[in-house]
Amino acid sequence: MSSATNALWLAVHFPQLGFEVHGLPADADNRPAVLIEENRVAQADALARRAGIHTGATLATAHSIAPELRHFPRDPEAEGRRLEWLALVGYRYSSRVSLAPPAQVLVEARGSLRLFGGLAALTSALATRYRLLGHETRLAAAATPLAAQALARWPESAAWQDAPCPIASSQALRDVPVACADLEERQVERLANMGVTRLGQLLDLPPRELGQRFPPALLDYLHRLTGRKADPRPPIVPPERFRFHVHLLEGVQEKDALLPPMRSVLEQLTRRLATRNLGTRLLAWTFKPLSGQAVDVRVRLAEASADPAALLRLSRLRLERIDLPSEVMSVSLCADLVTPLLPAGADFLDANGGDASSNAIKRAELVDLLTARLGDEAVRALAAVDDHRPEAAWAATPVATSTRAATPSTAKPGTRPLWLLDPPKPVSAQGFTIESGPERIETGWWDAAQARDYFIATAPSGSRCWLYRDRHNRWFLHGYFS
Amino acid sequence: MKNQRLADVDQGDMAAEERIGNVLWRARDFASAGAARRSAAGIRTGFSALDAVFFGGGWPRAGLTELLCPMPGIGELSLILPALAALSKDEARWIAWIEPPFVPYAPALAAAGVDPAKVLLITPSTRAEALWALEQALMAGVCGAVLGWPSRIDMARTRRLLLAARQGGTWGCLFRPIAAAREASAAELRLRLSPLPERRLRVDVLKRRGGWPLENIDLRLDTAGDSGEPA
Repeated sequence: MSSATNALWLAVHFPQLGFEVHGLPADADNRPAVLIEENRVAQADALARRAGIHTGATLATAHSIAPELRHFPRDPEAEGRRLEWLALVGYRYSSRVSLAPPAQVLVEARGSLRLFGGLAALTSALATRYRLLGHETRLAAAATPLAAQALARWPESAAWQDAPCPIASSQALRDVPVACADLEERQVERLANMGVTRLGQLLDLPPRELGQRFPPALLDYLHRLTGRKADPRPPIVPPERFRFHVHLLEGVQEKDALLPPMRSVLEQLTRRLATRNLGTRLLAWTFKPLSGQAVDVRVRLAEASADPAALLRLSRLRLERIDLPSEVMSVSLCADLVTPLLPAGADFLDANGGDASSNAIKRAELVDLLTARLGDEAVRALAAVDDHRPEAAWAATPVATSTRAATPSTAKPGTRPLWLLDPPKPVSAQGFTIESGPERIETGWWDAAQARDYFIATAPSGSRCWLYRDRHNRWFLHGYFS
Repeated sequence: MKNQRLADVDQGDMAAEERIGNVLWRARDFASAGAARRSAAGIRTGFSALDAVFFGGGWPRAGLTELLCPMPGIGELSLILPALAALSKDEARWIAWIEPPFVPYAPALAAAGVDPAKVLLITPSTRAEALWALEQALMAGVCGAVLGWPSRIDMARTRRLLLAARQGGTWGCLFRPIAAAREASAAELRLRLSPLPERRLRVDVLKRRGGWPLENIDLRLDTAGDSGEPA
């Protein structure tokens, strides 16, 4: 399967997830912290590890080592719920996101590289987003999910010196401790007893012998790790849509009269979203008349929102441009693209950090706002096009905020006007003072009659103009040098 | 808000207003000497004759400028082009053009160092929409420069645009007819442009922060950058 060989998996590892579900930032007030499960240490933070507290120690032992220790019960259920929520965040960056419990999310990156302008930009956007949501991450990429997962789990890898999100080379992978692999603890111990502690050693063992001495799960793991065997991961399914509906007691004819019912459904929606800390990026309104065609109005947002006032404002702007049925009898609302909300105040972090992805989001917000009121065709980006025909050498394109490919400069400075008249304006050549020219431009190779001679000339008013004479000796003003 | 007091001066005779405004600014400059100038560093214009007389050494980075032109196409774009190129190079923000009289020609912009992909072309269909779009673009904080060609605009509206530009940290640049010189405006920098032969432009500074009006600055447009690479 070619798509499988081309896949690029990002493993997002949340090393502090167990602490973070308790609402604790790592190393808060400089006291070591541990998570306790059945009276033993299930996870120790960096300070606790430095103090010499290891996983498996009893709580009493841990306390005797570090009396100032903070301890919390491990809450696997809360971790699972949070991990699902964190996977939803990843859904914003890729349409293939999978859960890898207990503390990892897998994001298929290949399909998103172009949109984000490369792996570095994508991973920095992801890591920033998770940081803003209060979660520490470690990201690694690889051709197979298991390779990415193993590397992401091992913080000491030298690979992190080269890139914030290393791609698991075969050497980097060989160095990873077997303890970081997705293997049962019992197998890890048995391998350690044989002196096998690194994945490289494990991969060098003859598969036949391994198959005889170990359960088939181990060979299966190695085959999936190296990509010899497919390792399909079920993608997460984004949550249900949120639908709301209001029947109006009598037909509404004025748009303003629709605002109260719209506000009421929006408030229902945002209450539901807020309890789950979610926001929406797409509102689909439907206005139904007593008889006849219903009208759909879609409002897109650059950033998820659960603010009823802001959502109503954008919806209202959109509504102003649309003809509604003469008598609206019902209003329904469907919220799509439901994603986790950024915490309040995240903007300030961004402003200081100069985070590129959130700036792109803010630029997109302005475009959303302008488009909602003015219409799609009134808000455009410019592009230079490699075409020798002057009127085809530019384009007004839909605004794409995430692709930032610079257009090559195709004209010599000073040879093309800054203002273009579209279409060219017929003029009389009288009174113009020719400064330079002609420059012959064939405007259509299929038709020699289309050749034009361009001149730079000064108009009586003092403007510098771009004029051309066509084959029939007619003169046109095509631009101002300004 | 440094210019708040200027904005509070009652609408009325423009000359009087501008005199008062200038005096207020001079007093302030005296007090805080060079520090204010540095903190309010402008966008280098690329023309040393202008950088030398503009407050902050360039176009106001968060404020409103007016360029009064007898007609479009006389060199008003070449005048701002070095600054647009610098913004396009240094910032990831938009350069928004709202209701321009003609098409800003992408190949010529690219050749001058302005990335067309950062140009946002906004073409509202009514005057009210154009003014609304101007204000939104100025205050959103995601535009390095907002260029506008409003058909009619009054003192109260220029005040709102000035505040929006301050809020967004954006250089607002309005292109208005020569006749607008008779109307009051809250813009802190107002220039009157007239074409001269041989790619030259005459600039009269009608109003500026920290100085008196100036007349008859003669610029050569094809020597933009004579004051060194605009930073």
